[in-house]
Amino acid sequence: MTGRVIVITSGKGGVGKTTTSANIGTALAKEGYKVVLIDTDLGLRNLDLLLGLENRIVYTIVDVIEERCKLKQALVKDKKNPNLSLLAAAQTRDKSAVNAEQLKEICDKLKEKNDFVLVDCPAGIEQGFQNAVAGASEAIVVTTPEMSAIRDADRIIGLLEAKEEIESYKLLLNRVRPSLIKSNEMMSVDDVVEILSCPLIGIIPEDTGIITSTNKGEPIVNDENALAGKAYRNVAQRILGEEVPFLDLDEPKGLMAKVKNIWEKLKAKV
Amino acid sequence: MGLLTDIYNTVAKFFRPQEELDGDASKSVATNRLKLVLMQDRTNLTPKILEQMRGEMIDLLSKYLEMDKDMLELNFEQEGDQVALMLSIPVIRAKDEDEIEEALKAEKENSDEDFEDDEDESDDDEDDDTDVCVEDETDEDSETVEESAEDTEEVKPKKKRRKKKVTTPEDMQTSEAEDINNDAVQETTENAVVEE
Repeated sequence: MTGRVIVITSGKGGVGKTTTSANIGTALAKEGYKVVLIDTDLGLRNLDLLLGLENRIVYTIVDVIEERCKLKQALVKDKKNPNLSLLAAAQTRDKSAVNAEQLKEICDKLKEKNDFVLVDCPAGIEQGFQNAVAGASEAIVVTTPEMSAIRDADRIIGLLEAKEEIESYKLLLNRVRPSLIKSNEMMSVDDVVEILSCPLIGIIPEDTGIITSTNKGEPIVNDENALAGKAYRNVAQRILGEEVPFLDLDEPKGLMAKVKNIWEKLKAKV
Repeated sequence: MGLLTDIYNTVAKFFRPQEELDGDASKSVATNRLKLVLMQDRTNLTPKILEQMRGEMIDLLSKYLEMDKDMLELNFEQEGDQVALMLSIPVIRAKDEDEIEEALKAEKENSDEDFEDDEDESDDDEDDDTDVCVEDETDEDSETVEESAEDTEEVKPKKKRRKKKVTTPEDMQTSEAEDINNDAVQETTENAVVEE
Protein backbone atom coordinates (compact mmCIF):
# COMPACT_ATOMS: atom_id res chain seq x y z
CA MET A 1 0.00 0.00 0.00
CA THR A 2 1.21 3.47 -0.79
CA GLY A 3 -0.67 6.15 1.02
CA ARG A 4 -0.98 9.82 0.19
CA VAL A 5 1.10 12.33 2.09
CA ILE A 6 -0.67 15.67 2.45
CA VAL A 7 0.85 18.66 4.15
CA ILE A 8 -1.46 21.21 5.79
CA THR A 9 0.17 24.60 5.74
CA SER A 10 -0.69 28.31 5.76
CA GLY A 11 2.21 30.65 6.33
CA LYS A 12 0.36 32.71 8.89
CA GLY A 13 -0.25 31.32 12.34
CA GLY A 14 -3.66 31.01 13.92
CA VAL A 15 -5.68 30.42 10.78
CA GLY A 16 -6.57 26.85 11.73
CA LYS A 17 -3.91 24.48 10.38
CA THR A 18 -3.96 22.26 13.43
CA THR A 19 -7.75 22.29 13.71
CA THR A 20 -7.94 21.41 10.03
CA SER A 21 -5.41 18.60 10.39
CA ALA A 22 -7.25 17.12 13.38
CA ASN A 23 -10.62 17.30 11.68
CA ILE A 24 -9.66 16.04 8.25
CA GLY A 25 -7.66 13.24 9.85
CA THR A 26 -10.55 12.23 12.06
CA ALA A 27 -13.04 12.45 9.18
CA LEU A 28 -10.89 10.23 6.94
CA ALA A 29 -10.41 7.72 9.74
CA LYS A 30 -14.16 7.63 10.28
CA GLU A 31 -14.52 6.67 6.65
CA GLY A 32 -12.44 3.62 7.43
CA TYR A 33 -9.06 4.78 6.11
CA LYS A 34 -5.86 4.34 8.06
CA VAL A 35 -4.55 7.79 8.91
CA VAL A 36 -1.45 9.08 10.66
CA LEU A 37 -1.24 12.70 11.75
CA ILE A 38 2.24 14.13 12.15
CA ASP A 39 2.73 17.24 14.23
CA THR A 40 5.85 18.97 12.94
CA ASP A 41 5.51 22.07 15.07
CA LEU A 42 8.47 21.28 17.28
CA GLY A 43 8.47 23.22 20.51
CA LEU A 44 4.87 24.40 20.01
CA ARG A 45 2.89 21.23 19.71
CA ASN A 46 -0.87 21.39 19.88
CA LEU A 47 -2.32 18.67 17.70
CA ASP A 48 -2.27 16.32 20.70
CA LEU A 49 -4.50 18.75 22.60
CA LEU A 50 -7.07 19.03 19.82
CA LEU A 51 -7.30 15.26 19.65
CA GLY A 52 -7.39 14.88 23.43
CA LEU A 53 -4.28 12.71 23.38
CA GLU A 54 -1.93 14.90 25.39
CA ASN A 55 -1.71 12.44 28.29
CA ARG A 56 -0.83 9.46 26.16
CA ILE A 57 2.30 10.70 24.51
CA VAL A 58 5.41 8.82 25.50
CA TYR A 59 7.69 9.21 22.50
CA THR A 60 7.85 12.00 19.96
CA ILE A 61 9.11 12.43 16.43
CA VAL A 62 12.51 13.52 17.77
CA ASP A 63 12.79 10.27 19.73
CA VAL A 64 12.16 8.38 16.51
CA ILE A 65 14.77 10.36 14.61
CA GLU A 66 17.34 10.04 17.36
CA GLU A 67 16.55 6.32 17.55
CA ARG A 68 15.39 6.16 21.11
CA CYS A 69 12.34 4.25 19.97
CA LYS A 70 10.84 2.56 16.94
CA LEU A 71 8.50 4.52 14.70
CA LYS A 72 5.63 2.23 15.63
CA GLN A 73 6.13 2.86 19.34
CA ALA A 74 5.81 6.60 18.88
CA LEU A 75 2.42 6.38 17.16
CA VAL A 76 -0.35 7.20 19.62
CA LYS A 77 -3.69 5.62 18.79
CA ASP A 78 -6.80 7.77 18.97
CA LYS A 79 -9.18 7.09 21.84
CA LYS A 80 -12.20 6.45 19.68
CA ASN A 81 -10.92 5.49 16.31
CA PRO A 82 -8.22 2.85 16.00
CA ASN A 83 -7.66 3.89 12.37
CA LEU A 84 -6.25 7.21 13.50
CA SER A 85 -2.89 7.71 15.14
CA LEU A 86 -0.69 10.65 16.01
CA LEU A 87 3.04 11.15 15.80
CA ALA A 88 3.57 14.00 18.23
CA ALA A 89 6.10 16.80 18.04
CA ALA A 90 8.67 17.21 20.78
CA GLN A 91 7.73 20.04 23.08
CA THR A 92 11.19 20.61 24.53
CA ARG A 93 13.11 20.93 21.27
CA ASP A 94 13.09 23.42 18.42
CA LYS A 95 12.77 23.13 14.65
CA SER A 96 16.47 22.47 14.15
CA ALA A 97 16.22 19.09 15.90
CA VAL A 98 14.84 17.66 12.65
CA ASN A 99 15.84 18.09 9.04
CA ALA A 100 13.90 17.70 5.81
CA GLU A 101 15.59 14.43 4.89
CA GLN A 102 14.64 12.82 8.17
CA LEU A 103 11.06 13.91 7.91
CA LYS A 104 10.82 12.64 4.37
CA GLU A 105 12.10 9.29 5.53
CA ILE A 106 9.43 9.10 8.23
CA CYS A 107 6.70 10.03 5.75
CA ASP A 108 7.93 7.41 3.32
CA LYS A 109 7.86 4.73 6.00
CA LEU A 110 4.42 5.75 7.23
CA LYS A 111 2.81 5.82 3.82
CA GLU A 112 3.68 2.18 3.29
CA LYS A 113 1.26 1.14 6.02
CA ASN A 114 -1.33 3.91 5.92
CA ASP A 115 -3.81 5.37 3.46
CA PHE A 116 -3.13 8.93 4.53
CA VAL A 117 -0.29 10.72 6.21
CA LEU A 118 -1.31 14.25 7.15
CA VAL A 119 1.52 16.59 8.09
CA ASP A 120 0.58 19.54 10.28
CA CYS A 121 3.02 22.28 9.32
CA PRO A 122 4.21 25.03 11.67
CA ALA A 123 3.60 28.68 10.80
CA GLY A 124 6.30 30.50 8.89
CA ILE A 125 8.36 29.74 5.81
CA GLU A 126 11.59 28.69 7.49
CA GLN A 127 13.07 25.34 8.42
CA GLY A 128 9.85 24.05 9.97
CA PHE A 129 7.96 24.60 6.74
CA GLN A 130 10.70 23.08 4.62
CA ASN A 131 10.73 20.01 6.88
CA ALA A 132 6.98 19.54 6.81
CA VAL A 133 6.76 19.83 3.04
CA ALA A 134 9.69 17.53 2.32
CA GLY A 135 7.81 14.24 2.39
CA ALA A 136 4.50 15.43 0.95
CA SER A 137 3.19 15.22 -2.58
CA GLU A 138 0.01 17.17 -1.95
CA ALA A 139 -0.71 20.31 0.02
CA ILE A 140 -3.70 22.01 1.55
CA VAL A 141 -3.20 25.72 2.06
CA VAL A 142 -5.36 27.02 4.89
CA THR A 143 -6.32 30.67 4.89
CA THR A 144 -9.01 32.98 6.21
CA PRO A 145 -10.70 35.85 4.36
CA GLU A 146 -8.33 38.38 5.93
CA MET A 147 -5.64 40.32 4.15
CA SER A 148 -2.69 39.13 6.20
CA ALA A 149 -3.68 35.48 5.95
CA ILE A 150 -4.24 35.75 2.20
CA ARG A 151 -0.96 37.47 1.61
CA ASP A 152 0.88 34.76 3.53
CA ALA A 153 -1.05 32.06 1.68
CA ASP A 154 0.06 33.62 -1.59
CA ARG A 155 3.64 33.41 -0.47
CA ILE A 156 3.21 29.77 0.53
CA ILE A 157 1.61 28.94 -2.81
CA GLY A 158 4.61 30.49 -4.54
CA LEU A 159 6.96 28.34 -2.48
CA LEU A 160 4.92 25.20 -3.05
CA GLU A 161 5.02 25.77 -6.78
CA ALA A 162 8.77 25.87 -6.74
CA LYS A 163 8.80 22.43 -5.14
CA GLU A 164 9.01 19.57 -7.59
CA GLU A 165 7.61 17.03 -5.11
CA ILE A 166 4.34 18.88 -4.62
CA GLU A 167 2.03 17.63 -7.35
CA SER A 168 -1.07 19.50 -6.33
CA TYR A 169 -2.18 22.06 -3.83
CA LYS A 170 -5.64 23.19 -2.83
CA LEU A 171 -7.07 26.04 -0.85
CA LEU A 172 -9.12 25.66 2.31
CA LEU A 173 -10.89 28.84 3.33
CA ASN A 174 -11.45 28.84 7.05
CA ARG A 175 -13.49 30.98 9.43
CA VAL A 176 -15.83 32.31 6.79
CA ARG A 177 -18.57 34.54 8.15
CA PRO A 178 -21.47 34.69 5.70
CA SER A 179 -23.17 37.60 7.46
CA LEU A 180 -20.05 39.76 7.09
CA ILE A 181 -19.65 38.77 3.46
CA LYS A 182 -23.25 39.70 2.87
CA SER A 183 -22.75 43.15 4.32
CA ASN A 184 -19.59 43.54 2.22
CA GLU A 185 -17.36 43.69 5.24
CA MET A 186 -15.49 40.51 4.48
CA MET A 187 -13.96 39.24 1.28
CA SER A 188 -16.12 36.62 -0.31
CA VAL A 189 -15.01 33.12 -1.21
CA ASP A 190 -14.91 34.12 -4.87
CA ASP A 191 -12.73 37.14 -4.10
CA VAL A 192 -10.17 35.03 -2.29
CA VAL A 193 -10.13 32.30 -4.92
CA GLU A 194 -9.73 34.88 -7.66
CA ILE A 195 -6.86 36.64 -5.89
CA LEU A 196 -4.96 33.46 -5.10
CA SER A 197 -5.99 31.61 -8.30
CA CYS A 198 -5.88 28.32 -6.50
CA PRO A 199 -8.47 25.51 -6.64
CA LEU A 200 -10.72 25.29 -3.60
CA ILE A 201 -11.12 22.17 -1.48
CA GLY A 202 -13.24 23.51 1.32
CA ILE A 203 -15.09 26.41 2.88
CA ILE A 204 -15.36 26.20 6.65
CA PRO A 205 -17.75 28.60 8.37
CA GLU A 206 -16.79 30.32 11.59
CA ASP A 207 -18.29 28.14 14.28
CA THR A 208 -18.21 28.72 18.03
CA GLY A 209 -18.40 24.96 18.33
CA ILE A 210 -14.71 24.87 17.45
CA ILE A 211 -13.90 26.44 20.81
CA THR A 212 -15.88 23.91 22.80
CA SER A 213 -14.53 21.06 20.72
CA THR A 214 -10.98 22.20 21.45
CA ASN A 215 -11.86 22.50 25.13
CA LYS A 216 -12.99 18.90 25.11
CA GLY A 217 -10.24 17.57 22.91
CA GLU A 218 -12.78 16.26 20.49
CA PRO A 219 -12.63 17.28 16.81
CA ILE A 220 -15.81 18.93 15.61
CA VAL A 221 -16.32 16.39 12.80
CA ASN A 222 -17.58 14.07 15.53
CA ASP A 223 -20.45 16.46 16.15
CA GLU A 224 -23.08 15.53 13.59
CA ASN A 225 -24.96 18.80 14.00
CA ALA A 226 -22.15 21.31 13.76
CA LEU A 227 -21.90 23.16 10.47
CA ALA A 228 -18.10 23.34 10.61
CA GLY A 229 -18.04 19.61 11.28
CA LYS A 230 -20.11 19.01 8.19
CA ALA A 231 -17.87 21.27 6.14
CA TYR A 232 -14.79 19.31 7.28
CA ARG A 233 -16.49 15.99 6.49
CA ASN A 234 -17.13 17.35 3.01
CA VAL A 235 -13.45 18.26 2.66
CA ALA A 236 -12.56 14.67 3.53
CA GLN A 237 -14.98 13.46 0.85
CA ARG A 238 -13.36 15.72 -1.71
CA ILE A 239 -9.92 14.41 -0.76
CA LEU A 240 -11.31 10.95 -1.47
CA GLY A 241 -12.31 12.14 -4.93
CA GLU A 242 -16.04 12.62 -4.37
CA GLU A 243 -17.73 15.60 -5.90
CA VAL A 244 -19.46 17.28 -3.01
CA PRO A 245 -21.07 20.69 -3.52
CA PHE A 246 -19.86 23.44 -1.20
CA LEU A 247 -22.19 24.19 1.70
CA ASP A 248 -24.60 27.01 1.19
CA LEU A 249 -23.57 29.25 4.02
CA ASP A 250 -25.99 32.02 3.25
CA GLU A 251 -28.41 32.67 5.99
CA PRO A 252 -31.97 31.76 5.12
CA LYS A 253 -33.58 34.28 2.80
CA GLY A 254 -37.13 35.39 2.34
CA LEU A 255 -39.93 36.47 4.59
CA MET A 256 -40.68 33.07 6.07
CA ALA A 257 -37.07 32.57 7.07
CA LYS A 258 -36.93 35.94 8.73
CA VAL A 259 -40.10 35.23 10.65
CA LYS A 260 -38.53 31.95 11.67
CA ASN A 261 -35.42 33.81 12.75
CA ILE A 262 -37.43 36.08 14.98
CA TRP A 263 -39.27 33.09 16.35
CA GLU A 264 -35.94 31.44 17.20
CA LYS A 265 -34.80 34.57 18.97
CA LEU A 266 -38.07 34.70 20.88
CA LYS A 267 -37.63 31.12 21.97
CA ALA A 268 -34.06 31.80 23.04
CA LYS A 269 -35.12 34.74 25.20
CA VAL A 270 -37.91 32.94 27.00
CA MET B 1 -37.30 45.88 25.34
CA GLY B 2 -34.25 44.38 23.60
CA LEU B 3 -36.56 41.93 21.94
CA LEU B 4 -38.79 44.69 20.61
CA THR B 5 -35.75 46.44 19.17
CA ASP B 6 -34.70 43.22 17.50
CA ILE B 7 -38.07 42.79 15.90
CA TYR B 8 -38.15 46.43 14.85
CA ASN B 9 -34.69 46.16 13.27
CA THR B 10 -35.55 43.00 11.42
CA VAL B 11 -38.77 44.49 10.09
CA ALA B 12 -37.08 47.78 9.23
CA LYS B 13 -34.44 45.91 7.26
CA PHE B 14 -37.06 44.89 4.67
CA PHE B 15 -37.65 48.47 3.73
CA ARG B 16 -34.10 49.70 3.59
CA PRO B 17 -32.48 50.02 0.18
CA GLN B 18 -29.82 47.44 -0.65
CA GLU B 19 -27.02 50.02 -0.93
CA GLU B 20 -27.55 51.06 2.63
CA LEU B 21 -27.29 47.48 3.79
CA ASP B 22 -24.01 47.15 1.94
CA GLY B 23 -22.43 49.40 4.52
CA ASP B 24 -19.09 50.99 3.87
CA ALA B 25 -17.96 48.01 1.81
CA SER B 26 -14.62 47.73 3.55
CA LYS B 27 -14.08 44.47 1.71
CA SER B 28 -13.46 46.22 -1.57
CA VAL B 29 -10.83 48.35 0.13
CA ALA B 30 -9.23 45.18 1.42
CA THR B 31 -9.42 43.48 -1.97
CA ASN B 32 -7.78 46.38 -3.74
CA ARG B 33 -5.05 46.84 -1.18
CA LEU B 34 -4.36 43.15 -1.21
CA LYS B 35 -4.17 42.93 -4.99
CA LEU B 36 -1.62 45.68 -5.05
CA VAL B 37 0.52 44.34 -2.29
CA LEU B 38 0.45 40.88 -3.82
CA MET B 39 1.51 42.25 -7.14
CA GLN B 40 4.53 43.81 -5.47
CA ASP B 41 5.22 40.61 -3.51
CA ARG B 42 5.01 38.48 -6.63
CA THR B 43 7.20 40.61 -8.83
CA ASN B 44 9.64 41.52 -6.11
CA LEU B 45 9.80 45.09 -7.34
CA THR B 46 12.03 46.58 -4.72
CA PRO B 47 12.22 50.33 -4.14
CA LYS B 48 15.68 50.20 -5.68
CA ILE B 49 14.39 48.74 -8.93
CA LEU B 50 11.56 51.27 -8.97
CA GLU B 51 14.06 54.05 -8.54
CA GLN B 52 16.06 52.67 -11.44
CA MET B 53 12.93 52.51 -13.58
CA ARG B 54 12.19 56.09 -12.67
CA GLY B 55 15.64 57.20 -13.71
CA GLU B 56 15.46 55.42 -17.04
CA MET B 57 12.04 56.80 -17.75
CA ILE B 58 13.23 60.32 -17.08
CA ASP B 59 16.08 59.76 -19.52
CA LEU B 60 13.69 58.48 -22.13
CA LEU B 61 11.11 61.20 -21.78
CA SER B 62 13.52 64.08 -21.51
CA LYS B 63 14.34 63.52 -25.17
CA TYR B 64 10.88 64.77 -26.01
CA LEU B 65 9.82 66.87 -23.09
CA GLU B 66 11.17 69.39 -20.73
CA MET B 67 9.69 68.50 -17.40
CA ASP B 68 9.82 68.96 -13.69
CA LYS B 69 11.86 65.90 -12.82
CA ASP B 70 11.49 66.32 -9.07
CA MET B 71 7.74 66.07 -9.28
CA LEU B 72 7.72 62.80 -11.15
CA GLU B 73 5.45 60.21 -9.57
CA LEU B 74 5.51 56.53 -10.33
CA ASN B 75 2.76 54.32 -8.95
CA PHE B 76 1.01 51.06 -9.51
CA GLU B 77 -2.73 51.12 -9.72
CA GLN B 78 -5.29 48.42 -9.98
CA GLU B 79 -8.12 48.66 -12.48
CA GLY B 80 -10.27 45.61 -12.64
CA ASP B 81 -8.06 42.69 -13.55
CA GLN B 82 -5.26 44.84 -14.81
CA VAL B 83 -2.45 46.45 -13.01
CA ALA B 84 -1.36 49.72 -14.55
CA LEU B 85 1.82 51.60 -14.01
CA MET B 86 0.90 55.24 -13.59
CA LEU B 87 3.40 57.91 -14.33
CA SER B 88 2.66 61.51 -13.57
CA ILE B 89 5.05 64.30 -14.52
CA PRO B 90 4.42 68.01 -14.78
CA VAL B 91 5.48 68.96 -18.30
CA ILE B 92 7.08 72.36 -18.60
CA ARG B 93 7.43 72.44 -22.33
CA ALA B 94 7.32 70.05 -25.22
CA LYS B 95 10.52 70.09 -27.22
CA ASP B 96 10.29 71.07 -30.86
CA GLU B 97 11.19 68.79 -33.72
CA ASP B 98 14.77 69.96 -34.08
CA GLU B 99 15.50 69.46 -30.43
CA ILE B 100 13.98 66.00 -30.47
CA GLU B 101 15.97 65.05 -33.52
CA GLU B 102 19.10 66.31 -31.89
CA ALA B 103 18.44 64.35 -28.73
CA LEU B 104 17.75 61.22 -30.71
CA LYS B 105 20.89 61.65 -32.73
CA ALA B 106 22.97 62.17 -29.62
CA GLU B 107 21.47 59.09 -28.16
CA LYS B 108 22.07 56.95 -31.24
CA GLU B 109 25.68 57.85 -31.02
CA ASN B 110 25.82 56.84 -27.40
CA SER B 111 24.15 53.50 -27.63
CA ASP B 112 22.47 51.10 -30.02
CA GLU B 113 19.20 50.80 -28.16
CA ASP B 114 16.20 50.92 -30.47
CA PHE B 115 13.52 53.06 -28.97
CA GLU B 116 11.55 53.23 -32.20
CA ASP B 117 10.62 49.60 -31.73
CA ASP B 118 9.18 50.22 -28.30
CA GLU B 119 6.99 52.99 -29.57
CA ASP B 120 5.49 51.04 -32.44
CA GLU B 121 4.76 48.02 -30.34
CA SER B 122 2.22 49.52 -27.99
CA ASP B 123 0.55 51.90 -30.40
CA ASP B 124 -2.67 49.92 -30.64
CA ASP B 125 -3.81 50.09 -27.04
CA GLU B 126 -4.62 53.64 -26.26
CA ASP B 127 -4.76 54.54 -22.64
CA ASP B 128 -5.80 57.87 -21.22
CA ASP B 129 -5.32 57.07 -17.57
CA THR B 130 -2.01 58.74 -17.21
CA ASP B 131 -2.40 62.32 -16.28
CA VAL B 132 0.47 64.08 -17.83
CA CYS B 133 -0.24 67.67 -17.03
CA VAL B 134 0.82 69.74 -19.95
CA GLU B 135 1.08 73.30 -18.89
CA ASP B 136 2.28 74.71 -22.14
CA GLU B 137 0.16 73.11 -24.80
CA THR B 138 0.84 75.15 -27.91
CA ASP B 139 1.16 73.13 -31.07
CA GLU B 140 0.35 69.80 -32.70
CA ASP B 141 3.77 68.55 -31.81
CA SER B 142 3.20 68.50 -28.10
CA GLU B 143 0.13 66.34 -28.64
CA THR B 144 1.97 63.64 -30.47
CA VAL B 145 4.87 63.69 -28.12
CA GLU B 146 2.56 63.24 -25.20
CA GLU B 147 0.94 60.32 -26.94
CA SER B 148 4.12 58.41 -27.39
CA ALA B 149 5.17 59.14 -23.86
CA GLU B 150 1.99 57.58 -22.59
CA ASP B 151 2.46 54.51 -24.66
CA THR B 152 5.83 53.73 -23.30
CA GLU B 153 4.44 53.86 -19.82
CA GLU B 154 2.01 51.08 -20.50
CA VAL B 155 2.91 47.96 -18.60
CA LYS B 156 1.40 44.69 -19.65
CA PRO B 157 0.14 42.82 -16.60
CA LYS B 158 1.38 39.30 -16.32
CA LYS B 159 -1.65 37.12 -16.82
CA LYS B 160 -0.29 33.91 -15.46
CA ARG B 161 2.51 34.14 -13.01
CA ARG B 162 2.54 30.58 -11.94
CA LYS B 163 4.22 27.69 -13.55
CA LYS B 164 6.29 24.86 -12.27
CA LYS B 165 9.75 26.18 -11.90
CA VAL B 166 13.02 24.54 -12.64
CA THR B 167 15.72 25.85 -10.42
CA THR B 168 18.73 25.99 -12.70
CA PRO B 169 19.52 29.53 -13.74
CA GLU B 170 19.86 28.61 -17.43
CA ASP B 171 16.36 27.20 -17.56
CA MET B 172 14.95 30.22 -15.84
CA GLN B 173 16.35 32.50 -18.40
CA THR B 174 15.06 30.59 -21.37
CA SER B 175 11.59 30.06 -19.95
CA GLU B 176 11.13 33.67 -19.01
CA ALA B 177 12.79 35.14 -22.03
CA GLU B 178 9.53 36.22 -23.68
CA ASP B 179 8.88 38.71 -20.98
CA ILE B 180 11.51 41.27 -21.59
CA ASN B 181 10.23 43.80 -19.11
CA ASN B 182 10.05 41.47 -16.20
CA ASP B 183 13.02 39.36 -17.00
CA ALA B 184 15.43 40.82 -14.52
CA VAL B 185 12.79 41.14 -11.87
CA GLN B 186 11.66 37.57 -12.41
CA GLU B 187 15.14 36.33 -11.90
CA THR B 188 15.44 37.97 -8.55
CA THR B 189 12.16 36.39 -7.51
CA GLU B 190 13.46 33.00 -8.50
CA ASN B 191 16.63 33.47 -6.60
CA ALA B 192 14.77 34.52 -3.51
CA VAL B 193 12.67 31.40 -3.72
CA VAL B 194 15.65 29.15 -4.15
CA GLU B 195 17.46 30.69 -1.24
CA GLU B 196 14.65 30.09 1.11
